[in-house]
Amino acid sequence: MVKSYRPRTLEEALKIRSETRCIPYAGGTDLMVRYRRGAGLAAGFDQPVLFIGQLAELTQIYEKNGELTIGACVPYREIIHQRHTPEILRQACELIGAPAVQNLGTPGGNICNASPAGDTLPPLSVLDANLTLQSLSGERNVSILSFFTGPGKTILRDDELLTAIHFRLPHFTVEGYRKVGTRKANALSKVSFAAFMLKEKEMLADIRIALGAVAPTVVRSRELENRLIGQPLTDLAKLLPEILESYGKLILPITDQRSDANYRKTIALRLIENFVLKEES
Amino acid sequence: MKNSISTPTDRLDGPEKASGKAVYTDDIRPEGLLFARTLRADRPRARITAIRLPEIPDNYFIVDRNDVPGRNRIKMLEDDWPFFAGEVINHVGEPILLVVGPDREKVADILNSIEVEYEDLPPVLSIDDAIAAKSPIFGDDNCFAAYSFRKGDPDTAFSTAKTVIEGEFKTGYHEQAYMEPQGMIGSYKNGKLTVTGSMQCPFYVKNAMMQLTGFKEDAVQIIQATTGGAFGGKEEYPSLLAGHVAVAAIKTGKPVKLVLERGEDLAVTTKRHPSVSRYRSAIDENGRVIAMEADITLDGGAYAGLSAVVLQRALFAAIGVYNIPNVTVRGRVMATNHVPSGAFRGFGAPQAFFAVEMHMEQIASELGMNPLTFKEIHLVRQGDTTSTGGVLRDEIKIHEMLAKVLKMSNYRKKEGIFASKKGRFRSGIGLAIYLHGCGFTGKGEEIIKGTATIRKLAEDRAEILISNVEMGQGAQTTLRKIVARILELPIQNIEYANPDTDRVPDSGPTVASRTVIIVGHLLESAAKELKKRWNESETLSVSKSYRHPSYIQWDQDKLQGDAYPAYSWGIVAVEVEVDTLTYETAVKGVWTVHDVGIAIDEEIIRGQIEGGILQGLGYASLEVMDTADGAYRQHSFTDYIIPTSVDAPVIESELIDNPYEYGPFGAKCAGELPIAGAAPAYAAAVSHALGIEIHEIPVKPEILIKRAVK
Amino acid sequence: MSQIIQFTLNGTPVSLESDPMRRLLDVLRDDFSETGVKEGCGEGECGACSVFLNGKLVNSCLVALGSIEGMNVETIVHFKNTPAYRVIEQAFSDAGAVQCGFCTPGMVLAAYALLKNNPHPGENDIREAISGNLCRCTGYNMIVDGIRLAAKRGEGKW
Repeated sequence: MVKSYRPRTLEEALKIRSETRCIPYAGGTDLMVRYRRGAGLAAGFDQPVLFIGQLAELTQIYEKNGELTIGACVPYREIIHQRHTPEILRQACELIGAPAVQNLGTPGGNICNASPAGDTLPPLSVLDANLTLQSLSGERNVSILSFFTGPGKTILRDDELLTAIHFRLPHFTVEGYRKVGTRKANALSKVSFAAFMLKEKEMLADIRIALGAVAPTVVRSRELENRLIGQPLTDLAKLLPEILESYGKLILPITDQRSDANYRKTIALRLIENFVLKEES
Repeated sequence: MKNSISTPTDRLDGPEKASGKAVYTDDIRPEGLLFARTLRADRPRARITAIRLPEIPDNYFIVDRNDVPGRNRIKMLEDDWPFFAGEVINHVGEPILLVVGPDREKVADILNSIEVEYEDLPPVLSIDDAIAAKSPIFGDDNCFAAYSFRKGDPDTAFSTAKTVIEGEFKTGYHEQAYMEPQGMIGSYKNGKLTVTGSMQCPFYVKNAMMQLTGFKEDAVQIIQATTGGAFGGKEEYPSLLAGHVAVAAIKTGKPVKLVLERGEDLAVTTKRHPSVSRYRSAIDENGRVIAMEADITLDGGAYAGLSAVVLQRALFAAIGVYNIPNVTVRGRVMATNHVPSGAFRGFGAPQAFFAVEMHMEQIASELGMNPLTFKEIHLVRQGDTTSTGGVLRDEIKIHEMLAKVLKMSNYRKKEGIFASKKGRFRSGIGLAIYLHGCGFTGKGEEIIKGTATIRKLAEDRAEILISNVEMGQGAQTTLRKIVARILELPIQNIEYANPDTDRVPDSGPTVASRTVIIVGHLLESAAKELKKRWNESETLSVSKSYRHPSYIQWDQDKLQGDAYPAYSWGIVAVEVEVDTLTYETAVKGVWTVHDVGIAIDEEIIRGQIEGGILQGLGYASLEVMDTADGAYRQHSFTDYIIPTSVDAPVIESELIDNPYEYGPFGAKCAGELPIAGAAPAYAAAVSHALGIEIHEIPVKPEILIKRAVK
Repeated sequence: MSQIIQFTLNGTPVSLESDPMRRLLDVLRDDFSETGVKEGCGEGECGACSVFLNGKLVNSCLVALGSIEGMNVETIVHFKNTPAYRVIEQAFSDAGAVQCGFCTPGMVLAAYALLKNNPHPGENDIREAISGNLCRCTGYNMIVDGIRLAAKRGEGKW
C-alpha cells in the first residue's frame, strides 16, 4: 500500500513534491486504468500518490486580454462549456471518452501522461500553448512542443507540477479538427489532426498543423509550415507533394491492436492535403 | 389484423433491474465467502514441467486437477475439455489452478508469486497450420468434425454450366460482449453441492458437475442468478467456471466465488468461430444458378466443445434462402491452439449467410446483373426442398416481406442515385435475406425431450417450472404472458423464478431460439390442460414433454431430411456512407421485416431485432478480434470495440404475421434470426458505395483503403 | 497506508479507514453493499459503475477513494427514491429500454445527468449523453426512445 497525500493548497502540494517522489493524480482517468489490478483490489501505484484535482489554484479557467488560461485540473467538461474555448480544442475534449470521463479527466493529466494519442495535444500544439511548470524554487513557462521527449516522457521535474496551460485566442480564417478513432464516440485515436490557416489577399499568411497518434510525440513542424507561409494560394497544390513527402518523414506510426502503421500514415497525409487544398477536415 | 397477444406488456423484470435491486452473481455475498482467481497458461502449447508455489498461509488454498473428485473433463459432445489443465496446456489462458482465500489482496499476491515452468511444444496457430497437420493436436488430421451432403446432381450441372464463378469469404472472431462478465459461486454443505451463477443452461451445468464430482443427481443443485446478457457465451463456458468453484467449495468447505475480470473474460471465454468459406456456382445461359458448392472451414480452437453442432448449423444455412437444384455442401472444424470457439447467437449461421449472400452479390456483379433482382429470381418458395432434402411445408411470405422492405427503405431509387454519386462521401445500400431454423438442429429436441410444468398455487396463482432462463431476451415476460393468457389470469399472478434444478424439470437449455417455440408450446399445452382441470384440486401440477411431430423426418448419419421443424425469416436493408478521405463508414439507416410467426410481445421482439442487428453490424464493421502467438490482441473494451449509442443507426422494423401450428399462439423463433443478415447487408452496402467486391468481415477502413486506393 | 476518508454517501456523512487507492466502485459494493453499482469493464468504457460525484456523472471504477474527501456521492440506491427516477423508470419500461438490466442503473443515471441540464434534448444530445454507457442487448434505440419519453413526461421534475 502506497502513501498518499491530499494537500489543501498548491504550496503544500509543491512542498510534498519537493520532498517526496510521487505521482500527481489529477482526474485519475488514465492512472486508474494504468495501475488497475482488478475487482476488489486497490490500484497498484508504485509510488506515493499526490492528489491535486481538488486544488483551487489548478481548477480555474478564464480569459484575460485575449489569453485563455486553463488550470491543469479543469475537467474536460468545463473546457467544453467555457465560451472562449477555441472550437478545435472543444471538439477534441468532446471526443475524449464520454461525459462521465469528461467530468473527471483533465488536460493536465492528458499532457503529463504524454501518450502519443493524447487528444488535447494536437489542438494545444497548433494553439502554441505554453505550460506553466511550478516548483517551490519558482516557475518556468515552456512551449507544449518542447515538453515531450518521448512516449510517456516529458521534461517535468520530480519537484514540479504542471499548473496551467495558456495560449492567445487564435484569429485564423480556417480551422480544422478531425479524430479518426476506433468508433464514433468514446474511442481512442488512430490518428488525430488539428490545424489553422490564415488567408490574406490570396496568400497563405499563416498555417499551423499538428498530428497525434502517428509518432512518439505530437507532430508539428514550423519548418514545413514556413515553406507554405507566404505562398500564393494558387501555388499550394503544386507545392504540397514535396511538403507531404517531408511530413511523411516525421510521421512514424506503429501497428497495434487498433490500427496499422500504413493506414495511420496514409490518413495523416490525406488529412493535411485535404485541409490545405479543400479547407475540410 | 394485429394479433392481440402481440400488444406490448410492461417487462416484469424492468423495475428491479433499473433500480439496481436485481441480484447478479457478483452481488451475492454469503457469509464466509472465499474468492478465487485463476492461474492461466501464458502460451499456446506446452508441457508444464514445474509449478513453484510460495508458502500458502492458513485459510488460503491452491485448487487444481488433483482436487477433482470425479472426472476432469467438461461433459459435452466430446469429453475432451479439461476443467483444469493436464500436463500439457493447449491454449493461452488455459486454467492451471485456482488460488482461493478470504482476502482478495492476499489471493492476488499468492497468484502473482507462483512460477510455472514450461517446455514449449509446436503450436497450431491457424486453420492452414491445422490442415497441414505437421504436429497434430487432435487425432491425426486436427479435424474435430467434418460433414458433407448433396442434393441433385451437381457434377452434371457443373459440367454443363455456361459459367462457373468462385469466391472465398472470411469472417473473424466475434465476442459476445455481454455486459455482465461470467461468474459462479459454489458451496458444499452436508454432502450437497450448490452452484449459483450467470448461465443459460442449468442442466448442462448440472450434468457437467455430476461428471466432475461423481456425485448423485440429488447431491448437485444448480441455480441461475440474474444473468446480464449471454448471447450464447453462457451456453457451454459456465460449466467450466462452475467446475472450478465446485471443486474449490468441496475442498475448502466454504462458499467460493469466481467472477472473471473483463479482460480475462475477453481473453479466455468462447467466441464465434472464425470461418473461411469457398463457394463455386454453376450458371446456365439464362443467368440462373444451376448448382452451388459450399465448403466451410471453422477454427474450433483447442477443444471440441460444441463446434460440431455449430458447423452443422453453418452447413444447413450454407445455401441461404435460395432454391438451387443441385448442391454440394462440405465443412469441417479444425483444432488449433487457440482459445476454444463456441456458441454465439446464430451458431454458425451468420458465417454461412455472410458467405452465401456475398457470393450471390459476387455472381450478380460478374454477370452484370442487379444483385437484388438476381437474388429474387432464386428465392425459395413453399414446397421447395432444402439443401438436405427437407420440405419447406409452411407458407413463405418472403416476397411480401421484400416488397415491404423495398418500400420502407426506398431501395430501388437509392440504388440508382447512389451508384452515380461522386465526390468524397459515397453512399451505398445493400440487402440480405435470411432464415433461421427454429430449435435444435436435427434430432436435438428428441434427445433432450424437454418437460415443462405449471403448478397451481393458492389465490388464483400459478407457477411456471422450467429450466429456461431470463437472460435479457424477455423470457420472464413472454412465457408468463403465454400462460396468463390461457389461464385467463393477470400476468402478475403467474410466477416464474430463476430456475433451480432442485425445483424444476429439465425443459432443456436456453439456446437455439427454442425457448418460445418449443418450451412456450409445452407451457401452452400444459396451461390449456390446467385450465380445464383448474377446479379439480387445490394443488395441481400439469407437465408436458416434447413430442416430435411425426411428419418431421431426419437422418443424422446421412444429414438428410428436415434439419429443423420450422423456419423464421428476415430481410434487412442497410444504407451506409463512406468518407473516402479516411474510409470510415457510417450506417445511415436500417430497414427490416421479420416473420417470426406471431410475436408474443411486439416490443420484446423489437428489442431482439434491434439488438441482434446492431450486434451483427458490429460484427461486420467495428468488432475486430485477432490473434498473435495464439492470444487475442484485444484485451479490453478499449481495444475490442462494440458500437455505442452514437454508432447505432435508427432501425425501422416491421413484423409480418405468419402463424405456426406448433408454436404458442402461432409463434416461431426470433432470438438469433436478426443477427444473420446484418453483416452481409452492411458489406453489400459498402461494396455498392465503393464499387468493390467485399469478401471479408470485419470491413475495416484499413482494408478498404488498400482495396479502393491504388 | 490506511487513511481516514470522509465523504457523504447518499446524503449521509460516512467515514472510512481504508486504503485511499481503492476504487470507489469497490468501496460502494464491498463496504456499503451498494450492488446496484456494477462492474462491467473496470476501465471507464462501459458506464455500468456510473455514480454522481458532487452532482456530476462519473465512472466509479476510475475514482480513487482518496480523491473524494469531502465530496458527495449519490448512487442508484438513493436516486431510485426520487420522483425523477420514477419518471425515467416508467419511460424506460414503456419504451422497452430494459433487457438484461446490467447497464440499466448506469443508463438511468446518465439519462438523469442529461435531463437535469437539458430538459428538452434532441436525438443527438441523447445519444452523446449515453455514449459512455454500453448496452449489448437493445441496439440503443429503445433506450433513446425511453429518454425522449422521460423528457416529455418529466417536465419540471429535474
